[in-house]
Order: sequence, then structure tokens, then C-alpha cells
Amino acid sequence: MAESKSKKSQGVLAVFGDLEPTADAIENLRKLGVSDECMYVISGVPVTEAMLGRPKQWSNVPRVAMGGAILGFSAASFLAFIAPYWYPYPIQVSTQAFVPWPPTFVLLFELTMLGMLLSTFLAVFLDSFFPNYRPMQYVPEVSDGKYAIIVECAHVEESKVKDLLKKLGAESIKPAEAKQL
Amino acid sequence: MTTLSDLKISEVKLAAEEGGKWGMVIDQDICTGCQACVAACSMENNIPFVGEDDSGYGRAMHWIRIERFWEGEYPEVKMTNQQPMMCQQCGSAPCEPVCPAFATVHSQAEQLNLQVYNRCVGTRYCANNCPYQVRTFNWRDYERPEPLPNQFNPDVTVRRRGVMEKCTFCIQRIHRAQDKAKAEGREVMDGEFTTACAQACPTNAITFGRIDKEDTLVYQMMHHGHGKKHLEELGTLPNIVYMNGNGAA
Amino acid sequence: MAYGKKEPEKKKDHHEHHGHTEEHFREKHLMLDPLPRGVMNDMVMEAVTEKPSWKWWATVILMGATVAYCLVYSWIVLIAEGVGVAGVNRPSYWGIFLVNTVFWIGISHAGTFISAILRVFKAEFRRPFTRVAELMTTFGLVQAGFSIFMHMGRVWLFYWLMPYPNQRMLWPNFHSPLSWDLLAITTYLLSSTMYLFLPLIPDLAMARDKTTGWRKNFYRVLALGFRGTEGEWTHLRNAMNIFAFAIIPVMFSVHTIVSWDFAAATRPGWNSTIFGPYFVIGALHSGMGAAVVVLAAVRTFIKNMDYFIRAEHFDAIGKLMLIISMGWAYFFFNDYMVQWYGGDKWTKQLLHFHEAGPLGWMWFAMLIVNIAIPWAVLWNRKWRSTPWLVSTVGILINVGMWFERYIIIPITLTINRMPFTWRMYTPGIEIPLGIGTLVLFILLYVIFAKLIPMIPVWEVQEGQMAHQLKKFGRETVVQVSELE
Repeated sequence: MAESKSKKSQGVLAVFGDLEPTADAIENLRKLGVSDECMYVISGVPVTEAMLGRPKQWSNVPRVAMGGAILGFSAASFLAFIAPYWYPYPIQVSTQAFVPWPPTFVLLFELTMLGMLLSTFLAVFLDSFFPNYRPMQYVPEVSDGKYAIIVECAHVEESKVKDLLKKLGAESIKPAEAKQL
Repeated sequence: MTTLSDLKISEVKLAAEEGGKWGMVIDQDICTGCQACVAACSMENNIPFVGEDDSGYGRAMHWIRIERFWEGEYPEVKMTNQQPMMCQQCGSAPCEPVCPAFATVHSQAEQLNLQVYNRCVGTRYCANNCPYQVRTFNWRDYERPEPLPNQFNPDVTVRRRGVMEKCTFCIQRIHRAQDKAKAEGREVMDGEFTTACAQACPTNAITFGRIDKEDTLVYQMMHHGHGKKHLEELGTLPNIVYMNGNGAA
Repeated sequence: MAYGKKEPEKKKDHHEHHGHTEEHFREKHLMLDPLPRGVMNDMVMEAVTEKPSWKWWATVILMGATVAYCLVYSWIVLIAEGVGVAGVNRPSYWGIFLVNTVFWIGISHAGTFISAILRVFKAEFRRPFTRVAELMTTFGLVQAGFSIFMHMGRVWLFYWLMPYPNQRMLWPNFHSPLSWDLLAITTYLLSSTMYLFLPLIPDLAMARDKTTGWRKNFYRVLALGFRGTEGEWTHLRNAMNIFAFAIIPVMFSVHTIVSWDFAAATRPGWNSTIFGPYFVIGALHSGMGAAVVVLAAVRTFIKNMDYFIRAEHFDAIGKLMLIISMGWAYFFFNDYMVQWYGGDKWTKQLLHFHEAGPLGWMWFAMLIVNIAIPWAVLWNRKWRSTPWLVSTVGILINVGMWFERYIIIPITLTINRMPFTWRMYTPGIEIPLGIGTLVLFILLYVIFAKLIPMIPVWEVQEGQMAHQLKKFGRETVVQVSELE
């Protein structure tokens, strides 16, 4: 069938009121031929991908956290084992060893944790591309607890998608235009 | 940047092993409590005048104090010997590890506990940790009305508010004597110089000198077995021996 | 508001008598009383955006003036004149500044306890007040930071305590517990601020969607463009899980390290091996007391909060307060008994000074208020569920814990091994400065209540989705699903 390519399709944004019809819609869209990469869900509460019947989301956060922990550990190791030897002469305090183990443990622990937590925070920003102030596809109803499915599929006709979504109980269907949030 | 081999870490001897270098013996039996040592120390080390109110509140800044203990009511008063107390220059000083800014460290050359005035940020942890409570703090910028600044010892800095200070065994005199001896190509002789407090004491109750050389007066006094060190059980390794027979009164 | 209103007593059947009707569940439990998300959002945003009354302005101006005089002006005097205007002397080189520092860090631990430990243990009642608690952590740490800077003799050189490469090749002394303090508190402050901000992002997005004008711009910038895509939620929740687990050891380490400022010292009464856990429990003790006061204040003074914060939350926190009070008593007795039994002459003098010295009343007050009163009040469920009663106990606990730190710091410092130096400590400028930090703590809450949504609505909705009522035989019980 002929597909209208006169204007680049912005995609369809459908708002659902509850989890169950959203999951149904996704399943049916997939049967229609819309692949998982062409659609995504926006919600006001976190729902797991399994609940929606979607593939598991890839996240770099744990890996970056681990990397940050290693960085923190290295910084602490530098301060504990190398920095004391950078003095013009060894600074002696009381009869404690030059690199004393108990304070070294404290130093290693604290900076490792700091590295891990800072990098976790940073990873959220990096993975989610925060801050992002460009116009994005969104509807404010989402923060009122609605679920929005955005379908941007080139090889399935938009009208078919719209009909399916309407049949499954979408509260509203509109073109997914990118707006300033 | 110093490398590990430059430092020859294995040769860095801890003070405990060497037994210290400069030490003192204080004979409490002949101390009269006249406080000449206190006055001399204050003059030698540019110690500020704190004033009556602050002194009464426990902020006197004398680096040496004469402690008096007594029991009973007048006229049945029983006194112990006077006890001059100043920095014991501990070999294992509890004040040193707790300073976060490295403002009090152990000197390798003189085996003394150093106070670095310009590094001190005034957390006062060292003073809390001193078992002898000999550290004093510059609680304010105390006034020195003219012409008192003319009296300053040029070998010693003045300290501003927020800085900790304490007895240094007159390290400026140690260095002066060492410099003079080095210039003359010889060793410092025992008795060539002494600390301000020892110099001022009218009864010679304070004896100061090298305790790592066996031929000094102070070494012999320290080792004839009649003295003891204060709070030795804490493991601070103090370098001052007190001779106290408590024979008087 | 109907929520929380006491029903008149009437003859009840078996189910009503045991409180098992659905209506009873809905009234008592937020998680079983769901409202549409949009309604909850509006309730929360109304509290934030409503035009502040003259009472709000009067409060802010009065508190601001107090902070300006007590905190800002007094601190300028302190820096200009020197630490001498405070009450510290020989031998009490540390006084109320350190007491306040330990006090505020202690209070900040309750925030982490509520938002992290309760989260890890899946205690669902934490959901509405995690943000209020996390704000307590951040604001408390700010006051602690102020207090520790106040006590420094040359505070303008504080940056020497930080590890940065410099021309003198000098690093801070990591042998010192104060350096560990710096690392631990910095880590904790940054971590808890990040842990506050992460779950705030979706609520900021909601606020962005619901406001106009300068507020909309403000929330838009802070919400970072959050939309609620699957990816964004996944990253956020991964991060929150990591934070929740990781911030718990950080929290324990922070107050343990603070306790080591004292335990690592040689003073009689300080050199005790039990200080680590003793201080952590003490922190939780005062912190939970403060948390319940903050909760009661939020519920009373902020609009619509009585839907979110109910008697059940006070009941739950009250139980925690009782258990923690017992824990504190256990550690206190450990510390005391071992010192008393050892018979060291200086410690004996010290303990006698604690109990029978000029400030002996403080020691007894501490025990009554930290142990006797919580044990006498918090065992009773009805009393635990009464906000004003539990908050009063909370305030008293905080007074008692402040006394505990006062006893540990200036009073213990008075007795040392050199009796010639023993002298009482009398506070000076620490008093207005301490009042300033307290008023600033409250003022920050008053201002932030008008800036950010105080309830994590998405977490509340998440919890409500997970709860349902189920019939077991003749009884209706609560069932909680694990949605993660």
C-alpha cells in the first residue's frame, strides 16, 4: 500500500489512563508490525519494562558507578601511599608509622564511596542526556499519572496505528510534536 | 620531589629509639615557686600579656607554669613541692598525629616537638590531646601597648590570634649555639647555653642539655635513679625528668 | 479534612472492633487510600504555589533577622576578635561549637536512615516523608559545617585541610581524625544532596508541568528535561538503588569518624572503644526525634499534608524511636559500666564530676529524657499515634542528646590528668551562634516548602499501586506487591 511520504511523519502520541490498556496496546502494536525500537513509553510512575512487555533497558549506571569507585580508590591510594613521599623530608608525627594502616583504611573507604556516588549521579545525567532543554515529545498529562505511547514507525501506516490505539481505549491521540517542555 | 632512595627511609629513626636529644631535669625539692622561670620564658618568647580576666578564665599563655598543691585549711595547710610544668617534648607525642594541618610535627634534627605557627589553623585538637595540658592558644590578638614591643626577642616570631603555641626548649637558643659552634668548627659544649627558664632559676632547679651524650650534667642527673617522668604510663616518652623527694613540709 | 479525624466511639461488630473494615484501612493507611495522581499532584503543588500568607512572611522576616544577627553578625565578631569571645579555655579547648557540630551531624543521620535504610528494608511507610527527611540531612549538615568552621582559630585558612596540590607540596595530615572527618562529611554531604536531588527530578518535572511564570522556568531548568521515558526511569532507579545501599555504610562511617575525634584522644572519658557505635546510635536517637518534630510541623503548617502524613507514620517512627532509645541505653550503659568498673583514678573523678559536679543536673536530665520518657510513652500505640505527643518526646530527646554531647565535650574536658588546670567552661558567643544555626535550619525548611514539592508524589503513587486489600478467610489484610 502506498505510504504518504510527502511530509516527514512526526509520529503518534497516545495517552492511556492505566497500565493494563498500555501493555495491551504495546502488545498489539507489536503484532501490527511496529518494532520495539520505533515506540517508547513515557509514564509518571516507574513501571518495569516487564510490566509493559518491553525489552529490558540498557543502563550504564552500574558500570560507571564501578568505574567511579575505582577512580576514588586510586585517588585515595595516591593520597595515602604516594603523597606522603612528596614532602621535602618525611614528616614524622609521634611514633606512628609513616604510612599508618588504620587511617589509610579510612581514607580508602571514604574516597572510594565518594567516587562511586559522584559517578553514579553523573551517570544518570550522561545516560539520560540531562540536562536537555531542547523541544521534546511530551504531554503534561504524563506527570498526572497517565501513560503515553509514542510511535514513530516508518513502515507501518499511521492511520492503522491510530485506529488500533483508539480501539484499545486511548484517551487522546495526537501527533507527537516536539515542544519546549 | 624527593625519591624514596633519597630519603633512605630505613634510616629515619623514631625518637623512641634514639632516646631524644635535648632534655631537662627539674629538681622539685629546690624549686621555691618564685616564678622567675615563667617571667623569663615570657620575655624570651614574646608571649603576650593576656590580662586579668582572661587569665582568671584559664587562658593564661605562659609556656611554663608552677603548679601548687595543698591540702587542709589554714593554719593546718600541708603543701607538696612546687611543680614547674612545660612541654615535655614527648618522644611519642600525642599532640602530633591529631593536627590535621601538620602544624605540630616531630623534628628529626633536634628530636623536639615542633609547633609551626604559620601552618596552624586553630582546631585545638593538639591541646586537647596533650596529657600535660601545656599548650596555650592565642584566643585573641592581645594588646601590647608601647613601648612593650621594644622588648621583643628578634629571634622569635610573634603569633596572631588563632594560633597554638607552647614551650620549644628555646629552640632559637639551640640554633644560635649550634650556628656559633659550627662557624667556629666545633661542637656545642655542655653548659654553653641554656633555656631561658633554666637561666633565670635562682636555685638552679632546672638543668638543660644534651641527653644523648653521657658526659653532660643533665644526662648524669637523669640517670642516677632518683627521678621520674610524669604520666609515663601513657607511653608519651617525655624528655623531662622530675626529681621529687617531697621532703619539705 | 476528614483524614485523621477521630471517629466517635460506637458499638462495633467483630470486624469493626478489630479495625478490619475497608473503610478503617483507608482512613488509617495512606497506601490503601489512593487518590488519582492528578489530585495528589494538585494537593502538593497547591501547598507550594499558594500565595504565602502574612504569617509566612512574618515568620520568614523574623527568622531572617534572627539569623542575620545571631549567625552572620556574631560570626563576623568571632572572626574579627578571635575565638576568645567564645567560652573555650584551658582545659576545655572544645565547647559548644563541637557540641553543635556533633548534634547537627547526628540529626542529619535520621534523614539517611529514613530514605535509605527504610528503603532497603522495604518499609513502605517511609514513602511520603523521605524528602522531608532528606532535607533534614542536607540542612543539618549545613549547620554542622557552619559550626565546625566557627570553632577554628584561623578559619580563613580552612582550605589547608583539603587535599589539593600546592607549591609547598603539603598535603593534609591523614593521621588526624579531623582529616577523616573532612573526607567523611564531604562525602556524606555530597552524597545526601545527590540522593535528595535524584528522586526530586520527577517531582520537579511534575511541578514544571503544573506551574506558570517564573516558577515554570525555575522548575524547567532544575527538571533537566525529564520526561519519564523508560530509559530515564531505569537510570534513575538504578542510581537510587546504588545510592540507597551505598549511603548506609557512608552514614555509619561518618558518625563513627566523628566519634573518633574523641575516642582517638588520650583524655579520660574519651579514650573509649565503644564510641563508634555509641555515637551512631546517639545520632539516630536525636535524629529520629527531630524527624518526628519536622513531620508534625509539616503536617500542621503546610496545606494538604494531613492526607499524606498520618497517625500511622508517627506510630511507625515512634516504634523506631523506642527501639533506638533502648539501643542508646545499652551503649550508654556499656560505656559507663566499663569506665566505672575499671577504677582508674582519673576516670573515677570524671564520673563523679559528671553526676555530682555543678552540672550534675544535666547528666540526670539526659538519662530521664533519653531513656525514661521514651520508654514511658512510646510503648503505647495510641500515644505513639498522637503527633503532638510524639513530637514532644522528640524535642525532649533532642534536648537530652544535646546534653549528652555537652557532657561528653566541655564537661569531660574539664577533668584531665593535670588537676591544676581543671576549670569550668562557660559559653560565650556560642549561644547566639548556636541559636542562629537552629533558626536557619527551620528557616530553610520554611523557604523550601514554598520552592519544591515536599512529598515525593511518584513514590506515594508507586506505593499505592503496590498495596491492596485481600480477604484471608474472614479477615481483610493488607497485601504489598514487590513492583521492582
